[in-house]
Amino acid sequence: MNETTMEISKLIPIIAPIFVIQLILMVIALIQCFKAEETRGPKVVWVLVIIFVNLLGPIAFFLFGRRIKA
Amino acid sequence: MNAGKLLTLVQKEWLELLRSFKLIWVPLVFVVLGIMQPVTSYYMPVILEKAGNMPEGTVIEIPLPSGAQVLADTLSQFGVMGLLILALSFMGTVSGERNSGATSLVLVKPISFGTYIAAKWISMMTLTWGALLLGYAASWYYTWLLIEQVAFGPFLLSYILFGLWFTFILTGTLLFSTLLRSAAGAAFSSLGLAVLLSLLAGLMPKYLSWSPGSITGSAYQAVQSLEGFDALASFGWSIGITVLLIGAGLIGSAAMLRRSPALD
Repeated sequence: MNETTMEISKLIPIIAPIFVIQLILMVIALIQCFKAEETRGPKVVWVLVIIFVNLLGPIAFFLFGRRIKA
Repeated sequence: MNAGKLLTLVQKEWLELLRSFKLIWVPLVFVVLGIMQPVTSYYMPVILEKAGNMPEGTVIEIPLPSGAQVLADTLSQFGVMGLLILALSFMGTVSGERNSGATSLVLVKPISFGTYIAAKWISMMTLTWGALLLGYAASWYYTWLLIEQVAFGPFLLSYILFGLWFTFILTGTLLFSTLLRSAAGAAFSSLGLAVLLSLLAGLMPKYLSWSPGSITGSAYQAVQSLEGFDALASFGWSIGITVLLIGAGLIGSAAMLRRSPALD
């Protein structure tokens, strides 16, 4: 029991950067999503996807979310 | 080709990369991918114990992979996810601008087709090599922290080899982007090319050791480098041919752009 708690306290500093970077990605994606005049598909859905789909949500929004103005 | 014009155009491309936030999110995604690999390798036994449906008392013995093995795994992760992201984010690089008419606006100025393509290519490559370096360095650091140190030489060599592979495929994306009207078509033809080449190189390593597809394999070997592994001696051919094909791809893109600079 003691051993596993030790593992976890050791784990936090190691995976913290991953969470921080994912948070940054999420925030950038959200800002872009709110600023976009028009998104491909409903904006609410994109916000949910960005927040709840880990890592791939913001990536999907960056790649496919914005409609390229013709 | 005029150096001043080229520089101006490259700056314009960088500005666009920055405005679309690609300059920020692509490297960040590579860093996450790079950190993920050593961490999951290191904690695999714990993850299996917590999340797996193992019967009580199962003892799993997974040998900790060597640091070089983890770095090779990271590279293969970049080769799939990283390449997908890069190809998708660059897919509209020419066709999108051509469809929106921006290409005609640029090309009415005294700028050669070659300069235009070269500026696109340089900006793509700075982002690609930079993101790959950041992600791979993050992976290297974490591998060092958790598992063991991998010597700098093999790390650098495998980075350059893998960067060359990325350069080759993304030059393909650029070429297809000038050839085809649809952006998705460009992304998927170049990704298809990547899959086909690495598949063929994997199936027939003996006959296709000269093909660009075998570069990924040589990058994995380089990082796990066995004493006295000589990249140039073993893979000189595939490296040379890849560089040639990259050059041909660039010239081809410029020629294709000359043929259809705008939508009629």
